[in-house]
Amino acid sequence: MDLTNLSATQLLDQLKSGDLSAVDCNEFFLKRIQAHQSLNAFVDVGENGSGSLAKSAELARTRAAAIDAGEIKGPLAGLPVAIKDGICAAGVETTASSRMLERFVPSYDATCVAQLNQAAAINVGKTNMDEFAMGSSTENSYFGPSLNPFNTGHVPGGSSGGSATAVAAGLAPIALGSDTGGSIRQPASFCGITGLKPTYGRVSRFGLIAFASSLDQIGPMAWTAEDCALAMNYISGHDVNDSTSAKEDVPDFTQGISDSLAGLKIGVYPQFFADGIDPAVETAVRDAIKVYEELGAEIVEIDLPHTASAVATYYVIAPCEASSNLSRYDGVRYTHRAEADSLDQMYMNTRGEGFGAEVKRRIVLGTYALSSGYYDAYYLQASKVRRMIKHDFDQAFQKVDVILGPTTPTTAFKLGQHTADPMAMYLADIYTVSANLAGIPAISLPCGMSEGLPIGLHLQGRSFDEATLLKAAHQYQQATQWHKQRPSMDQEVSA
Amino acid sequence: MSNPVEPQQVQQVAKLARIAISEDSLAESAGQLNQILGYVQQLQAVELPADVKPFFGAIESVNAIRADENKPSTDREQILKNAPDSNGEFYQVPPVFK
Repeated sequence: MDLTNLSATQLLDQLKSGDLSAVDCNEFFLKRIQAHQSLNAFVDVGENGSGSLAKSAELARTRAAAIDAGEIKGPLAGLPVAIKDGICAAGVETTASSRMLERFVPSYDATCVAQLNQAAAINVGKTNMDEFAMGSSTENSYFGPSLNPFNTGHVPGGSSGGSATAVAAGLAPIALGSDTGGSIRQPASFCGITGLKPTYGRVSRFGLIAFASSLDQIGPMAWTAEDCALAMNYISGHDVNDSTSAKEDVPDFTQGISDSLAGLKIGVYPQFFADGIDPAVETAVRDAIKVYEELGAEIVEIDLPHTASAVATYYVIAPCEASSNLSRYDGVRYTHRAEADSLDQMYMNTRGEGFGAEVKRRIVLGTYALSSGYYDAYYLQASKVRRMIKHDFDQAFQKVDVILGPTTPTTAFKLGQHTADPMAMYLADIYTVSANLAGIPAISLPCGMSEGLPIGLHLQGRSFDEATLLKAAHQYQQATQWHKQRPSMDQEVSA
Repeated sequence: MSNPVEPQQVQQVAKLARIAISEDSLAESAGQLNQILGYVQQLQAVELPADVKPFFGAIESVNAIRADENKPSTDREQILKNAPDSNGEFYQVPPVFK
């Protein structure tokens, strides 16, 4: 029985029909997680050999047995889900891949985790990530990088790289990630899967360890757009515990994804294909445009003049918010403390040794940009440019329903390729950060392969119109086979 | 703000952020910060309408209010389990004054 070729939706159908028991289903994935630990997709911390991964597995086994016994019921009964380690799950170590939180055990579930539990899904483990979600490769994880299952010499992307690796390697059929500047879509692109960043406010951020609160958003990662739609049905909606979660109606995202694309207006911005894009990525995206024309969509040229400044805007605003959000890690409340004989020195030492290099770089950058005399020139100016970026999208969405382009300028880069050059790493987010700044939803889906590595297609949509994105992505996946590419896992040694 | 950040300034900002940075890494940190600040400098050249309002949050909703109801909060003991040091009902920290 090989379940890795099934989408989450197909797996759920088997679970519902009784062809597959929750216990068998979970055992299959738990065994694969064990067998492919060298991919480092999951965070495993803890003492005396009973790590967090073993704890998650034990909880998953108990839940699966209870589901098969009919004691736990729900619309996702038995479906294994991997959860990014920046999202709190009660009683299970949640580290955000930081030394600072190495022994942190949340006392409550994030709202999205509680919603999935309520639906009787099963959390099979916490996935690796760049520390506090800061990075584009998972190389900033305190626990070492995850590896791209399509080529283990390459990064899986980040920051939700562990979630992408887990799905692509068939260790979980679906995963949750979070996306602050592309952290769901860029790893989805690098690992050949589908990842949706919902509209800001669509999914509660309660229980998501904060990086940049005006940009962070939780979303699903899976093989297909249909699977992402399925997950969105359960994690969306207003939450009294997150005052920025939106009081918008939540549609059934799986309804209507099969509707025709005839008349859909798709915007293409010529600058998406400017200098720096890998020719193979450009070719694949242009081929995808042809597929959409054949599906009845109309291609319209659009202008997004201020998106040229999006990376610069992001790398002012996100570090500013991070410098404030991460001030809570002071050695008093959250597990890690460096010894010192005064309180002030204790703060200094704890933060000096508990945070990794990239996190410290961004806190210092944010502190600098917010400091007296620099606030207007950096944070205020960036926030004004952010308004213009949003305005560009508002204008474009008066003409088109969806904006299409590449998710990333290249396929997955090599491990270590950008670690010495922060700016080069930041530019991996060049196509994705605008959606976070504007708050709009965006999805990445596989649209090609180059030298054995997947290429991602990026679709951006109107606020709270994830349904159109999911429909456009699903229709593409009905017409193409790219989402069915699977890595050959034999290059990796199984335990 | 065209002045590059000097290593000593990195030390000063890191102190404001309560992050200990070793002396020998200051030059490298200053170099990386200057590279990033050099890149974001392009924001100064963006032409903005005179009346443009900054956009701080991705949704501009009205203030969120809710009924003020008594509810049990998280168990104190559980919260203190994550503290590096505690004493009874309290967090414990090194002396503030020597």
